[in-house]
Amino acid sequence: MKVLLWMVAAVVAVAVLVTSVPAIAHHASGPFYDNEKRVEAIGTVTKFVFRNPHSFLYVDAPNAEGTMIAWEIEMGTAVSMSRRGWTAETIEAGDQIKVVGQPSRAPGTFGMCCAELTKPDGTPIRP
Amino acid sequence: MTVCHTLAVARGTTAGVESALSVWRASENQAIWWADGTGEAEMSVRSNRIRRVLTRCLCAMLLVVFGGGMAPAAFAQSGADPSEVPDLVGVWDGGGRVRPVNGPNMPWVPGENFPVLNERGSAHQAVFDEAIASKYDCVPSASPALQYDPYMMDVTQWPDRVLFRYEKDDQIRTVWLDGREPPLNEFTVQGFSVGRYEDGALLVETVQFVFDITGFDDYNGIPSSQQKRVTERYWRDGEELRMTLTVEDPMFLREPVSYTTRWLPGPEGYKLQLYACSAEEAGHPRKFLIPKYH
Repeated sequence: MKVLLWMVAAVVAVAVLVTSVPAIAHHASGPFYDNEKRVEAIGTVTKFVFRNPHSFLYVDAPNAEGTMIAWEIEMGTAVSMSRRGWTAETIEAGDQIKVVGQPSRAPGTFGMCCAELTKPDGTPIRP
Repeated sequence: MTVCHTLAVARGTTAGVESALSVWRASENQAIWWADGTGEAEMSVRSNRIRRVLTRCLCAMLLVVFGGGMAPAAFAQSGADPSEVPDLVGVWDGGGRVRPVNGPNMPWVPGENFPVLNERGSAHQAVFDEAIASKYDCVPSASPALQYDPYMMDVTQWPDRVLFRYEKDDQIRTVWLDGREPPLNEFTVQGFSVGRYEDGALLVETVQFVFDITGFDDYNGIPSSQQKRVTERYWRDGEELRMTLTVEDPMFLREPVSYTTRWLPGPEGYKLQLYACSAEEAGHPRKFLIPKYH
């Protein structure tokens, strides 16, 4: 039983590692994003910009009222992500995706950082 | 000029090669001037020329065998004892698997090595607004932050210089080993670096930095001035590359501060990637913060 628990824990840990967006090393996230809040968006990828010093993922997702929100999800540098197997094609426009992360601070903006990315059913997005 | 003397100079520095050749050319011109139209002198000049041609051939062969074979291997500055020269050549990994990633408390740890600012430094920090940090316009990171950025670094040792290439921001620093002095009025983002080998380590001193509103680190709004002086000591500890860095900047700091860090060898055959900072993406997060002054 203990072995089984350890195996489950290991699988969960690997899944979290695989799906977490690489940390932002270019700047502190605190001034831009509220690390005490979490937001979730499930929608369609419209663009994935794989660049330095930050990559950005654009997702259109409806909010609770059904209004479509254009989310801009900040990710790590392309240089660092590519060492983990990411490419500009890892995520493509039209992909369905679930994003959970910290919301941006400026009123009226829909930025997100430090996000975990999965498919809507929770399966990991692998590079 | 003897073959050995020429070779020694040439091995010392690239400038040495140019210097040796210019002396050669000067002596050749002098011999022709001495000829003065007499047959005896012409004979003497001809035999001198033949001797010089043979000497050049020999020198060229020796340079190819010894000089060419060495570059860019570590040989050190002129006169350095090769046994004192650490092998720093290669791609080095400074990423998260090697050391804690940089942040507001790393590598400057409150209560340990975090800098004590003077009144001027404190005033600058108090009015600093993240929105105006120049990195959001792709201005590259500089010492002492650049060395702790979590990216790869490529080191090449030449007889007269050491090149540090940083994957972060595509930066290159040249550390001159040939004794040259910093240009009086030249100030740059990465400053002017000179170095020497000592006790199995490379010592680097860098001055002539431009004023930088976030020139101390990427996270705490601490500026650095043209009085910033950065001293680095690099040495090998087994497979690790280690460094202790010290910053002095009397314009903003009460006293020098230091951190020590390490790199591990990068992946076999790894070549630095192009960073090509995108100004559009660098400034993108600005829209998500609330500016201090609005």
